[in-house]
Amino acid sequence: MTDLHWLTASEASRAFAAKTLSPVELVQHLLKRTEQLDPKLNAYIRLDADGALDAARTAEKEIAQGRIRGPLHGVPVGVKDIFDVATLPTTCHSHILVDNIAKTDAVSIQKLRQAGAIVMGKLSTHEFALGGPSFDLPFPPARNPWNTAYHPGGSSSGSGAGVCSGLFPVALGSDTGGSVRNPASACGIVGHKPTYGLVSRRGVFPLSFTLDHVGPLTRTVADAAIMLDTLAGHDPEDPGSSATQARHFGRLLDRGVRGLRVGFVRHFHETDMPAHPEVAAGLEEVSRVLQAEGAEVRTVRLPALDEFRGINRVILSSEAWSIHAPWLRDRPGKYGQLARQRLLPGAFVSAGEYIGAQRRRLELIASVEDVLRDVDVLLCASSMDPSCRLDDVPETNRTYPRQARAPFNVTGHPALAMMAGLSSGGLPVSVQFVGRYFDDATVLRVAAAYERATPWHTKHPPIG
Amino acid sequence: MDQSLLAAMAKAAGLEKALAEFPDDVAAAAQQALDNAGAVKFPTDPRAEPWPPMRAGVGL
Repeated sequence: MTDLHWLTASEASRAFAAKTLSPVELVQHLLKRTEQLDPKLNAYIRLDADGALDAARTAEKEIAQGRIRGPLHGVPVGVKDIFDVATLPTTCHSHILVDNIAKTDAVSIQKLRQAGAIVMGKLSTHEFALGGPSFDLPFPPARNPWNTAYHPGGSSSGSGAGVCSGLFPVALGSDTGGSVRNPASACGIVGHKPTYGLVSRRGVFPLSFTLDHVGPLTRTVADAAIMLDTLAGHDPEDPGSSATQARHFGRLLDRGVRGLRVGFVRHFHETDMPAHPEVAAGLEEVSRVLQAEGAEVRTVRLPALDEFRGINRVILSSEAWSIHAPWLRDRPGKYGQLARQRLLPGAFVSAGEYIGAQRRRLELIASVEDVLRDVDVLLCASSMDPSCRLDDVPETNRTYPRQARAPFNVTGHPALAMMAGLSSGGLPVSVQFVGRYFDDATVLRVAAAYERATPWHTKHPPIG
Repeated sequence: MDQSLLAAMAKAAGLEKALAEFPDDVAAAAQQALDNAGAVKFPTDPRAEPWPPMRAGVGL
């Protein structure tokens, strides 16, 4: 059998059903691995070993009795520390909320528990899912398992580092400007930002109401589909929640890409924001692989990246300011420097600029929709560079905005980032696939075809 | 940015404490906000609607 810590959720589920493995054995193994590795990774803010073992015992008993709830029954999951988990603190990695004990579970946590998943604990993030890797916060920043001197991406940093290093097979993250897909890109795993409104945000500390998405980080595309099947669904108490009936997101995983039309958004990484040569070469190789698998790849054009980025920043800073203004006024020193610097601009955005950005947003959405009428899915860059050193502040500041993820927070289209190779420095490079609204299944289909045709999902970081 | 204008804007936003304790952060934030808005091509069509639209009774 594969080392227990590299089992995917699907593999663990099959082993539970075959009674060759029990949830308690798996959780105990992962707790031991966490004890060994997490001092180097800082993926966890708070490990809930007792809660995880209790849940594992319950799952073990139910599975032994043949009461299998589904493919996540008994599967350990890590949770970004902006999601409420009842009785545990939701700190948002900030001094401001360090004693903020959640009274109830977020809706996504409720759904995972109903599916029998086991919450392992709360994971490192950038402060309020925004700041950046910081050393002036109550907890240290997470580190990249491929090289612990390097940034694991963010803001769902612990989710990325933990899934990548085998501390748990799947994790929850949030994505407002790319925060699920960035750590997936930096850590060489799969990160899916579902269509806006597909997954409830209730019980997740907000950053920007019209840009926030909840999504899974996993080691395989199949596991992302399983997570989405569990998480998706209408929530009448989340005003952004969609009433769509979209379900069974893994139903197309085995179909391949023959006959699919893929729009390659080359200008993002060729001219708008020229990518690192190894990233650009990786994207060309993805295009070649998809063509070899039978897809028709054609070059398409969207509005420029700078346009999307400007819109994302005006909207995000305005909405975040409306949330943080009371604390920024009363105790600005309680924020880490990076979060403070990134939250304060919202104080200086006029109402006219905010509404103007929302009006321009609709035009950008229309432009992307026009292109998606002629192709089934988009292929484009995620990060323009491999990860940089965590302590290299100038390089972090240079590379952090060099990404093509924010456009799809602005538009709300489903978008998935995954590993597309290793750089000469031994760090992952990535690709992003984007689909039509609520057609997350086709995004996952293309990603699964690429995954099958390449070896990247079998690569693990040299961390033990 | 003119310092007196910056101070007036910060005070209007209730940021007296931040201005006193972190003047560089406040100044950088004001400049960042200007740069962000400057990057947006605001619609010229007066009928251009914002997203998300008002939808009576939906999401309640």
